[in-house]
Amino acid sequence: MSVATAPLEAPRGRILRFFAAGITPVLAVVLAIIVGGLLVLATGGNPIVAYQQMIVGAVGTPFDISETLISSIPLILAAYAVSFAFRCGLFNIGAEGQLYMGAVASTWVATTLSTWPGPPLIALAMIAAMAAGAAWAAIAGFLKARTGAHEVITTMMLSYVAIDISHWLLEAGPMTPANAYGTPESGPIPTQAYFPVILPSSILANARLNISLFITILAGVVFAWILWRTPLGYEIRAVGLNAKAAAYGGIGVASRMVIAMAIAGAFAGLAGMAPVWVQHRLYDSFSPGYGYEAIAIALVGKNSAIGIFLAGLLYGAMIHGSVAMQANANISGYLVEILQALVLFFVGAEMLTRWIIRRGGLRAVLEAAG
Amino acid sequence: MNLIGILAGVFARPDLWAGTLRFATPLTLAALGGVISERSGVVNIAMEGMMLVGAFFAVLAAAATGNVLVATLVSVACGGLIASVHGVASIQFRANQIVSGMAINLLALGLTSFLLFHFYSLSGTPPNIPALPDITLPVISTMPFVGKVIGTMNIATWLALLAVPVTWWFLFRTTLGLRIRAVGEHPRAADTLGVNVFQMRYLCVILSGLLSGLGGAYLALGVAHSFTDNMTSGAGFIALAAMIFGKWHPVGAFLACLLFGFGSSLGINLQGSGTGIPDQLISATPYILTVIALAGLVGRSTAPAADGTPYEVGE
Repeated sequence: MSVATAPLEAPRGRILRFFAAGITPVLAVVLAIIVGGLLVLATGGNPIVAYQQMIVGAVGTPFDISETLISSIPLILAAYAVSFAFRCGLFNIGAEGQLYMGAVASTWVATTLSTWPGPPLIALAMIAAMAAGAAWAAIAGFLKARTGAHEVITTMMLSYVAIDISHWLLEAGPMTPANAYGTPESGPIPTQAYFPVILPSSILANARLNISLFITILAGVVFAWILWRTPLGYEIRAVGLNAKAAAYGGIGVASRMVIAMAIAGAFAGLAGMAPVWVQHRLYDSFSPGYGYEAIAIALVGKNSAIGIFLAGLLYGAMIHGSVAMQANANISGYLVEILQALVLFFVGAEMLTRWIIRRGGLRAVLEAAG
Repeated sequence: MNLIGILAGVFARPDLWAGTLRFATPLTLAALGGVISERSGVVNIAMEGMMLVGAFFAVLAAAATGNVLVATLVSVACGGLIASVHGVASIQFRANQIVSGMAINLLALGLTSFLLFHFYSLSGTPPNIPALPDITLPVISTMPFVGKVIGTMNIATWLALLAVPVTWWFLFRTTLGLRIRAVGEHPRAADTLGVNVFQMRYLCVILSGLLSGLGGAYLALGVAHSFTDNMTSGAGFIALAAMIFGKWHPVGAFLACLLFGFGSSLGINLQGSGTGIPDQLISATPYILTVIALAGLVGRSTAPAADGTPYEVGE
């Protein structure tokens, strides 16, 4: 699978290159807003009101900003899982299952060892999340390396299996609390294992944003550091660019694939842990599809640590903003899914996007000239 | 009762095998479309979205016209329409085909849910929409075991079964099929010989949309008799897996769809049959079967050489 290259002359200098890479996503967002607005208009709504409500809902108050960040965190972490594998030439579409494994493992550790003191319990839960995600993803890497089984199939199938396992654990298995009723869920995470919240309630009431924000930022640094500053990262990228050439150059392609999948799965495991450590309980079917949206975010973010972080913030803001939009503008919150899809589409179809902007821009100039 | 006894009992049920064919129907239609598209060199992971769009507009048209044939044609056309969006992006504008396909899946999910809310609010789609009819074979349906399995099947199942040899014949025994495969393996050479690469690829992508649309119509009008949010729930991705599993060959893809169908049907037939295995784990059966089969039996599958590579004229 080839990644479309920008039909732009590459500007000199890192900062210029960074902004040049960001042009298409920005144009894509603009086009998506226009097309989405037309859809709202066509179905009898007022797009200005809809977008206004969405933006106010997403970032209108400090509390909303904190909630937007909470929505973004699992998306960004899961997108790192998709992207890391992508850098090794592997299309990991099973981050969803890997994050379920991370959520289950960390919850199990925290609820089982509930008498442990906080710091070691938090550390162990995080290690469990990363290890479970890594192990689940590594199966697909191993099967790919050993038998050639296509990772698109195996990661997806293992994803469904992981979700079924979580259903069993929570609905009829060892993680079902004795006095379970209503929605299947795990027992509570012990309070000493909570992530500290960033803003105490004296500053911002009911703010739930916790240190998983810093974990996410750190994950981005680790993502970039491994890929661009270590021999392992160099080898993983070499395998991703051309596995045959990498093998000829003496790189163990099979082992790099397994390691890349394991590292990817570790990111996904953390992505699964983060929402549990906000709700302090693991609910059945807790993920609204973080692992699938992550594919879009990885692609919109062009597989770079910063790009993914920004794309994840955008998607998280849209998700949180959609709640206010649906309530106050009476427009289906699904508009956000359409916008997210359109952003992805226009990023992918870069030439089409630039063509539309050129044609649109030209017409605007002609109209202005009368 | 021991596990082997239970399994033998389940295997003797006609329901298991009839269910296999039912589950395999939409998968087969979508997977065949995927095979055609990718044989022409356009990666298509958008079957899920095309099916979902087909299913939604099938129900909308069925409710509006009360005519199942019109509804099916509308759904097939909508599948083709959304496929042509993928075509324009990935053929004309050389988009990354994975990105475009994924975008179409998400767009279909958002759009159908948005429109469902717009047209039906929270009440759901109307109850008495016309259904895709079953076809009962005169003699075979009276036979003891076989009659219960294939004696009465939905028209879409028959169409899917028919589409397998037709697709094979089309791709491997017609001039057009040869051109399609040439375009998917070596577009430059095909272009040199006067084959219109863009035309072939558009044809194939749209064909895949038509087939996926039909698969969606079957899910909505043949199985569920309604539309609900995300009702394809991954069937298009399973079809994608079946296509790769079947090594981009119509018959291989069909066999893979049968395996998925069998796994799903087995899961349902095993529930409550006294195996002692929790239902949640039984429902993982088709996925585990697939991983085992893929790793153990099938091994490496190689895509058509130019699959996913946009073609640029005259360089």
